[in-house]
Amino acid sequence: MIQAFTPTAAVVFVLAGVGLYYYFRQEKARLAEEREKERGLKSYGRPNIGGPFSLITHDGKAFTSENILGKWSMIYFGFTNCPDICPAELDKMTAVLDDMQKQHGDIFLPVFISVDPARDTPSQMSEYLKDFHPSFIGLAGGYAETKAVCKAYRVYFSTPPNADPKGDYLVDHSIFIYLMDPSGKFVDAFGQNVGQEEVEFKINEAIANWQKETGKKV
Amino acid sequence: MGWFSSSTKEDVSAPTRENRKRCWETRDAYFACLDSAGVVKAGEEGKACVPEKKLYEENCAKSWIDYFNQRRVIAEAQKDRLARASEQAQAAKK
Repeated sequence: MIQAFTPTAAVVFVLAGVGLYYYFRQEKARLAEEREKERGLKSYGRPNIGGPFSLITHDGKAFTSENILGKWSMIYFGFTNCPDICPAELDKMTAVLDDMQKQHGDIFLPVFISVDPARDTPSQMSEYLKDFHPSFIGLAGGYAETKAVCKAYRVYFSTPPNADPKGDYLVDHSIFIYLMDPSGKFVDAFGQNVGQEEVEFKINEAIANWQKETGKKV
Repeated sequence: MGWFSSSTKEDVSAPTRENRKRCWETRDAYFACLDSAGVVKAGEEGKACVPEKKLYEENCAKSWIDYFNQRRVIAEAQKDRLARASEQAQAAKK
């Protein structure tokens, strides 16, 4: 008959138990430390904003989400017939760009995406953008493309699919400037209440973090 | 009515900085007139601000006028609410 319980077995059992206990405790501490380190380097809980899109620029060229890579892009959604909020936000972006380009060089891409596909033709966009920073890219598409890009950026807009291209109407839409890093990932969103200086501070901070991780500004 | 009908090119009717500025200025003048007439809701001023209103309507699109007028009413209501809230806050402190 096999004796299941011997003093040797008892010792082995206890030793194994104690060993495993210390092993798991150490592993747990190591994993926690790793997580902590990762959290310090990367921004955690980054919302999943952005994604593929395909639109037409204000000078009639194709432009996709691939084209925002390699620069720090600032993306704003609006429409050319906007009474006061859009032009104020685009003026803010223009002032920010003037400062940032002076400090960092030509590493920024300001993008204005229309939420009014019925009226904002390329020529309309091109005319409108003359009043703002010369590096602005104006983007528009059909209703489906507009809806898709708004969905990717979590932007609400009220234009109906059958809007009259000659109609006199306003578009209700969310007001955010999205900062995307050179790999196309979302960094921050600035609402209407975030002033020029705060936007610049946040951009500088993002560039500094990027530089720390990659050794480069873009 | 504004640059929508006076635009010479068919396709392009994008309001320019100049258009916007003129519209805002005529709006401010009209609203100042409403203020002095003690009227909040545009259209209720009777014969008080006819020249200001005419300029406003000539320089702003109809959709903009509706928007600015509505916002004026909302802003007034908000002012009232804020005033009442701060009164209540003061009263609560006593």
